[in-house]
Order: sequence, then structure tokens, then C-alpha cells
Amino acid sequence: MIITRRMLGVLPIAMAAAVAGMVPAGAFAQDASTLVVDTAFQLKTADPAREFEPTANLVLHPVYETLITFKGSDLTTLVPSLASIPVVAPDAKTFTFTLNPAAKFSDGSPVTVDDVIFSFNRVKNVKGSPSFLLDGVTVAKGAKDGEIVLTTEQPDPGLPYKLANPAVGIVNSKLVKANQGSADEGADKTDRAEAFLASTSAGSGPYILDKFDMAAEVVLKRNDAYWGAKPAYDQIVVRNVDTSAQQMNVMRGDSQIALDLRPDQLDAIKDAAYTLSVPGADVVFMFTNANPEISATAANPDFQQAVRLAIDYDGILAIAGEGAARPGSIIPTMFAGALPTDQGPKRDVEAAKAALAKSGIKDPVIELTYVSDITKNGVSFADVAAKMQADLKEVGITAELKPSPVSTFLDDYRAGTLPMTIVWWGPDYPDPSDYLLFGPGEKVGLRAGWKAGSAPEVTEIAKKAAVEIDQAKRIELYDAWQKALNAQGPFTSLFQPAFSMASSKTLEPVEYNAMWTIDLTAIAPAKQ
Amino acid sequence: MSFLRSAWYALPNLVRFVIRRLFVGVLLCLGITLVSFALTQVVPGDPVSANLGDRAASDPEIVAAFRARYGLDKPVPQQYLLYLERLVHGDLGESQQTKRPVTTDLAQYLPATIELATAAMILALVLGISLGVVAAIGRDRWPDQVIRVISLAGVSIPTFWLALVTFYIFFFKLGIAPGVGRLNPGGKAPPSITNMFTIDALLSGQWTTLGIAASHLVLPATVLAIYTVGSITRFTRAAMLESLSQDYVRAARAKGLPERTVILRHALRPALAAIVTVAGMAFGRMLSGTVLVESVFSWPGIGQYAYKSALALDLRAIMGVSLVVAAIYILVNMAVDIIYALIDPRIRLG
Amino acid sequence: MSDGSLAPAEPIALPRRRFLRRSVWTQPLGLVGAGLLVVIVLLAVFAPWLTAHGPVDMVAKRFMAPSAEHWFGTDQLGRDVFARVIYGARVSLPYALQLVVMAAVIGTLLGAIAGYFGGWIDGVIMRAADLVMAFPDIILAMAVVAALGPGLFNAVLAVVVVSWPIYARVVRSMLLTIRDEPYVQSSRLLGVSAMRALWVDVRPNVVGPLVVLAALEFGHAVLILAGLSFLGLGAQPPTPEWGQMVSDGSKYFDKWWLSVFPGLAILLVVLAANFLGDTLRDALDPRTAKAFR
Repeated sequence: MIITRRMLGVLPIAMAAAVAGMVPAGAFAQDASTLVVDTAFQLKTADPAREFEPTANLVLHPVYETLITFKGSDLTTLVPSLASIPVVAPDAKTFTFTLNPAAKFSDGSPVTVDDVIFSFNRVKNVKGSPSFLLDGVTVAKGAKDGEIVLTTEQPDPGLPYKLANPAVGIVNSKLVKANQGSADEGADKTDRAEAFLASTSAGSGPYILDKFDMAAEVVLKRNDAYWGAKPAYDQIVVRNVDTSAQQMNVMRGDSQIALDLRPDQLDAIKDAAYTLSVPGADVVFMFTNANPEISATAANPDFQQAVRLAIDYDGILAIAGEGAARPGSIIPTMFAGALPTDQGPKRDVEAAKAALAKSGIKDPVIELTYVSDITKNGVSFADVAAKMQADLKEVGITAELKPSPVSTFLDDYRAGTLPMTIVWWGPDYPDPSDYLLFGPGEKVGLRAGWKAGSAPEVTEIAKKAAVEIDQAKRIELYDAWQKALNAQGPFTSLFQPAFSMASSKTLEPVEYNAMWTIDLTAIAPAKQ
Repeated sequence: MSFLRSAWYALPNLVRFVIRRLFVGVLLCLGITLVSFALTQVVPGDPVSANLGDRAASDPEIVAAFRARYGLDKPVPQQYLLYLERLVHGDLGESQQTKRPVTTDLAQYLPATIELATAAMILALVLGISLGVVAAIGRDRWPDQVIRVISLAGVSIPTFWLALVTFYIFFFKLGIAPGVGRLNPGGKAPPSITNMFTIDALLSGQWTTLGIAASHLVLPATVLAIYTVGSITRFTRAAMLESLSQDYVRAARAKGLPERTVILRHALRPALAAIVTVAGMAFGRMLSGTVLVESVFSWPGIGQYAYKSALALDLRAIMGVSLVVAAIYILVNMAVDIIYALIDPRIRLG
Repeated sequence: MSDGSLAPAEPIALPRRRFLRRSVWTQPLGLVGAGLLVVIVLLAVFAPWLTAHGPVDMVAKRFMAPSAEHWFGTDQLGRDVFARVIYGARVSLPYALQLVVMAAVIGTLLGAIAGYFGGWIDGVIMRAADLVMAFPDIILAMAVVAALGPGLFNAVLAVVVVSWPIYARVVRSMLLTIRDEPYVQSSRLLGVSAMRALWVDVRPNVVGPLVVLAALEFGHAVLILAGLSFLGLGAQPPTPEWGQMVSDGSKYFDKWWLSVFPGLAILLVVLAANFLGDTLRDALDPRTAKAFR
């Protein structure tokens, strides 16, 4: 009896709650001083020394300032931030930064050289994903007050470009130390500040971390003690939203910015919001493995040439959708040193057939492996692979499609056992030197079976390019290097998937930045 | 021995029953850890690749540190024993994805799912029992036929599709449902007591927050409830038909009691006992079924957590979710069996 | 009742062979369900003759709204949605059938062994069933798919792992009663082997109810496979699978035809199976029906 009554008693309450839920439209609009951004989270931590994920860059960029930074969408020009543009020694091994004396943390204490040394050493010693940025870098006090000197073992003209990454953002060393942080040798075991940094922030940026929920949302609050220009919003909410709901949210005004749209979603939204579709910084490329032990067919240089000439690059670019681009070689279009598109390989079916005949391989059959369970900015690798299969068929090459989940794919790819694959490379930092890894005997080169010493010319140019500090000469060398890579290497770049976003017309148009997606601190309401 | 035995039988039936069920439950949980552990071992992918950046994964020092941190450098049986040993201390290990203890993650995500599933369950019980009773009373006449079709439709609609369609209609087209998530963007959660926002808001008297949290709950809970409404309706109807044909119901009618009383008091009560057991089993299904609804409504619950963990080969997280959901399932069903016994005097706890 | 200790298996007296109480064919709902299923199967079989285009052919402009030319419109790659939905039946139905048959065979065997032999064998099998029942099904399926890699067949295997216990329970509970029937007892006394006894004496009594159960489970199988595909753990592109089509279509919500039609297709198939299964269950001997839940 008791149960019956209770159950009946619940009924009106449940009904009331249900009715209360259906509130008229407009009741959910948030106030104008809050900015809401929707994105599908790729986020693992709020600790700058441990993060290397796109969403972390997005939300930590407004919180942790770096020594130098970038403005707008330009990743080729350094801009001062906590420090001035560095003075680079002629041997490209010593870099001297001078801190801005006005800079202070959100708790009001000044940003000092000690904070920089602590932050950099912590990145190195916690041995997290971004540690490699400072591999072989020693950080020390300079001769003058506020001077920081970085020295590298090898010449590294690209180093300043690595330092704009929020992962090497400067943390308040006193605060972090007081909360179980450590930058000493062995910090990978002794540093326990990650939880603290997820509950609050210890940076000098225009925003402070108010709430960090990796599943739902990250809330940033304005840093009232900020030493620079005051940002436009009191609060920024970055929500974790499935791609399908993002478009609806922006159109309804539930959020102001949607970051993970597909190029072909933009049509529907054009009238209601600003849309932007530009090439992202990831480069999707394919390779035929140069190691004959993996596949004698794939390693045949004439066969490789035939494949390069068989691919319908324009057709693949069309699959990638509006806004996608094709770099001339492996360096993406927005970086210094990118090769113009028209200097990349072109389709020529007859020449491809001739190359195949020259290779002496009759009716070649090859496995084409691709990642089946993730897409790059809405482009599915299955679609690209199917297109390539059709292109290769035309010249007489049979490609057997082999879909693979990313978890197992990465193992095989990194072990260098795939005969032919479509894969992508996301830049670690916006400098062409990141791409020297594609050389023979280098990390990515080896994945394609390209052994050290197999292309001395390529290696030779790479060596020069790595140490050149004159920007014009650098670019020339990287151009030459990529042309040699195109001609002799196993790699062929296919396209850069488009980054597509929509932003409300109540805002000033928003710019894309390949490093932190968008600069949250620069977003402002539309001028009336 | 004989002393122990007589002491055992001296215990009240209910206590003996609970102890026995708890013992079986613990064994089942142990089995679950073994199965999920075995499963995580046959996964061909290497968690190192799935969890470290490209650069980091090729640095042997970082890889070694990663393996050591998660105990992946030890032999497999030892890894399992280590897992059990920590489990005894309430430690489910550390998630490779979030780099937090799995218990911390679960404490955050589980309440969201339980809140959603409980709301859906209440809705399903209210609707299902009402419809079932109506169908039983109007047996083989048109209300019965209509309700039958409705309940069959309920168990036939793909949840994920219904979620999309209702979200599109009620949020986008009509604008009467709030957007995704548990609260409005940037909304302050009520003081953390249970982490179920509606309950916390109620306990701390934050009426606005309660309204917002409840309004965000309505649509996903309704979608999640639809399947269970169907099965509870069918089951209630059957149970009611059975009890309506019993002698004591006829006797009650013969006494001239009002029909309303006969149905609610004499027929529904014994039927409820059986319905409760079905509800208990359905609750377990709901907990894991939320994954399909959570992804559409961006509901930060364990469904999404498990899904992401599975994609990232986050072994400890997968094991933790399986274990906790199974434990809830076992406990709920035990509670249900006890309630069953308390409601229905014909059942003896054996 | 996860360990079966509370409700003692009720003795079920089975009349041999006649397991349906009344004819299904007089029930309108059952007729509708059966009719729908026949139509859907015919559509699947004759798909190439019914559609002007193949399911993966990019035949027209992208995102065309439904028209006389393309009844259900075209999708993000310019494929005919009508063709994809019709061909989708060729994917969903066979895989769901495979799932049900595999689960039924495994469940029946284990249930029969448990019920016939009893003792510790029974204990082990039924505890394993409890274990799987307590395991969160979609989460287990996700883990299995993560282990084996995504793909429809792997999804089927994953779901089989979690769906055999219901068959095992039904078969076992029926066996427990049949085991003590005089005709089974007498074969045993005559020295008939266990396997043979199961086959000859028990099979006829169990097959009917099992078919009913399988019909009821078929709809569930279609749903769960579509759900896994929706999450990207089942069918892989470009396979025309309904759950995956809904998931793809949901990204273009203003092109409603992309996800509405495949969703309706799932609904229709599952509804048809449930209409039929439910009618069959109603027609079952009520005490046999009780073993189903």
C-alpha cells in the first residue's frame, strides 16, 4: 500500500517538473557579457606543461602567456608578449629574451626570470607530451635584469616559433611550487601540481580559469589584475558539444561560435552567421614504403613514380570540400617555406602507365591502409582511399583497401610496416624545421622505410636548412629541400583539410589561427 | 562447524538472504574485473600510441615513464593482482586519458548518468504502470489495442534517432526545450552534495538552478524512458490481468468495494511486486544505454566517458566503468528482490 | 532475479508439439507485422530492380531534396538516399539474423547442457550467464569492438556475447520440467545417450518457444546494431547501414531527409518484428510465456 501511495504521490511532482521544463523561448538566453564557444573537446589536462591537445591550446592560450606570440592568423611573424623579440646569436644556438617589466600574474606578483626558468624546466622535466619542444634547450638568467638566455646543443633557428605554444606558457612559480609543483630533475614523479592547475590557474593572461570540466565545459573569467588591454568579455564558456548540435546552437543563438563544422554545413548557416572555411594546418599525405622488405612493389622507384602520377589531386581536393588546400609539398601553406601548389606533382595517366611499364611489375597489387574511425575536419579517409583506389585502377594498379582503427593503425604506422597508407601530420610548432622529420633516416622518413643515406642530396639540403638563420635563405633552402623530397622521397602530400567554423553576427568576424584555433582574447562584440 | 551452522540459521531470513546475495555479488564483480581485464589484454592497440603525442611516443624515456606510471611494464598476472589489491583500497587506478584517478572521474560523471536514468525510470514507471493498468482494465477492447501499439512502438524506436528528432523539433524548431548540457552555458552548479544537480539544488534551496537543471533533464530523460515505458506497460498489463483473475479480487468486488479501490488496492499491489523486479533489470540497461542519448544531448555522463575511453584504449577507465555499472546493477536487483519480498508476502527469502 | 535463488523455476507442463494456444493468423497485429516483414524482405531481395541507382554510386548533385527523380533526396556525396535505404535492408536484416541465430544456438546449447546435466555444470553456466547479464551490454560491446576493431561482424560478435543468456535461461527452465516427464525418464532408463535424448525428446518442445523468443529478440538486434553503427563502432563507410546513415545525416540537420528516412526504416523493421513477436508470445501457452522476460 505504502508503495502505491508513494508512487502516485510522485506523479504530480514529476508532471510539475516536466511542465516547469517547458519554459517559453528566450528564457535561456545568457547575458551579453558572456561568450559561448562550442567545440568537440580534445582535452586531457589544464596543466600547460602536460598539454598538447587542440582544445587545451584554445582554452589555455588566454590564461598562460608565452614569451612571444602570434597575432591573428599569421604564424610567420613573431610578436612580443611577456618578452621582446629575441636576439639570436649568429650560430643560432643562443637566444636572448628581455622580459616586459610591467608583466604580472593574476595574483598581482610580477613575472620574473625565475618564473620563466621554472616553467621551462618544468615542461622539460615532467616528461609530458610537449617536453620535446625544449629538447636540448638550457635556460638561464642573462647578464642584465629581466634577461633570459636559451642555449641549444644544435643550431635551431626555429626555436622562437616553438615558444609561442601555450604548453610553454609561463606559470607563477611560487604558486605552483606551493601546490606540489616541481621543475627539478625527476619532476615526472614528484610534480603533483596537475590537479591544482585544473582547479585554478597560475598564469598572467587576460583570463583566469574558473571551471575546468573535461567532459562538459571550461569556463574562463576575466583577470581583473591583467597588465595589458582589458578583454571584451567578463566570461568565456567553451562547451563540449557534439558536431551535429553545434550548428543548431549557433543558429539559435545558444552559442556564438561553433568550431567543428564541415565545409558543406556552411551553406545552410550563411545567412544567419559569419562562416569561415580555410585550410587547416594538418597535411594529409600518402606514402609508398621505400623498404623492399615490407613490399618490393611499393619500394620500386618507378612504381612510386607511377602512383604519384596516377593520383587525381584535384578530385581528392574536391572530396575534401570547400576551403581545403593542397600544398606543393609537405609544409602547409600558411607556414614560411611552403612550396606553391603548382610545384607539386600533377596527374598524368599516360606517364603513369609508362612509369609502371618501366618498373617491370605486371598487374601490381598493393594494400592501402587508412584510419577508419576518425575523420579530419569532416573528411573521411575512407572516401579519399576509395578515390585513390579508382585513380590507381586507371593506370593498372590494384589497391586493396584496408581500414584500420586508429589505435592499431598508429602502432603499425609508427613501426613502419605499412606498404602504402594515407595519414596526416599535424604541426608541432609553426616552423618548417618541424618537417625535416620527413627526411631519409628521420622519424617520419623511417615510417615510410626511407633509410638514412638513401638520398644524400635531400639530407645535404636539410642539414643546411636546419642551421640557416637568414629568413630569405632559409625559405630558399626549404623550397629546394621539398622539391628534392617530391622527386626522390616516398611521400606525396594530398591536401590540407579545411577548418570550418561559424560565428554569430553579433560578433566581429573571427580569425582562424592554426596554433590555438581562435584567439579567444581577441573576440569582440560587433560594433554598432 | 556445527556451531557456525546453527549460528547461521539463527540469523533472520532477511539477513541471511542479504549476506548470501552480497557474497554472490562480490563474486560476480570479481568475475567482471577478470573478464574486463582479459578483454583489455587482447586489445591489439598499444595504449602508448593512443595516449601520447606523436613526438612523445617516439621518446623511449617518456614511453618508459608512461608504462611505469600505469604499471604496464609488469607481467600481466601481476598487473591483475596489483589491480585487485588497489581495488580493495577503493582505488580503480588512473585513467590514461584524463590522468586522474578513475574514482575521481566516476564521481564526476556517474551522478550525471544516474540523475538522467533515475528521472527516466520514474517517468517510465509512472507512464508504464498507468498505461498498463488502463490496458488491463480495458482488456481486448480499443484502449488495450491502442496502448499495445503504443508500447510496441516504444520498444521499436531507435533511441539515438528519437533523440535527434526531438532535439531538432523541441530545441531548434520550437525553441521550448533548453540547449545541450546539464545547465545553461557557464551556469554555476549547485553546491556539490550528490552531484545530481536537481537534488543538490533542491537540498540547498536554489530554486532557479533547480528549474534550469530540471528543464535540461526533461527531453533526454523522456527519450531515454520511451523504450522502458513500452516494456513496463506490457508487463504491467500481464501482471494486472493475472491478479485481476485472483479470488481475492473477486472477493473484494463481491464485497461491493468501489472498482477504483479494488483495482488500486487489491489488484495493483501484488502486480507491483513483479513490476519492481522488471524495473530493477531495466535500470541496469538504462545506465549503459544512456551512451546513445548522452552523445546527442552532450550530457557529460559515464556513457560518453566509457565511449571515449574505449576509443582511446583507456584500460583502467573501461574496467572502472564496467565494474561500477555492474555493481549498481547487482545492488539494485538485490534491493528489488528485498522489496519484492516485502511487498509480496507469498515469497519467502530462501 | 539475477541469481535465480528467489523465484523457484515454476514447473511448466508442456503439451508436446502444440505450443501455440491460438492461431496467430487471426490476429490483425501479427498479420500486419508478418506482412510488413515479407514486404521488407522482398524489397531487400529485389533491391537492384527497384532502384535506379546503386547504393554507393554518386549519381547526382549533393543534398538534393526529395523529388520525383530521387524520392528520398540525395546525400552529402550525391548518392541516392532511396537506394541506400533499400540496400540498407540487405545489410541490417542479414546481420541481425546472424546475431539472433548465433545467440540462440549458443544460448540453447548452454541452456540445454545446464538444464539436462544440472549440478556443477549448471552452476558454472548459469553463473556465467549472470555475469554477462550484470555486465553493461553496450559498454561490453564497445570494449569488444575496441579489441577486435570496428566492423559489423565484430559488432555482431560483441552483441552475441551479451545476448545468449536469455536463450539459455528459457531453455534451461523448460528443460528442468521436461527432464522429469515420463517419456524422457523412460528414454533415460532405456540407456539412450544424453545427446540423443536432448535431440529426440526435448527438441520438439523447445523449438517453438525459441522461435517466438528469437522473433522478439530480432527487433532488439536490429536496434543495437544500428546503435553501435551510429556510434561508429559497427558498419564502416561506404556500407549503406541505417544507423550510420542517421549518424552521417545528423551532421546536416537542415537536410532532414538524410536521417529521417533511414531512421524510419529502422523503426519499421523493428516494429514489424515486434508486432509479430508479440502476437506469437500472446498465443503461447501462458506458462511458457512466463519464462520470457
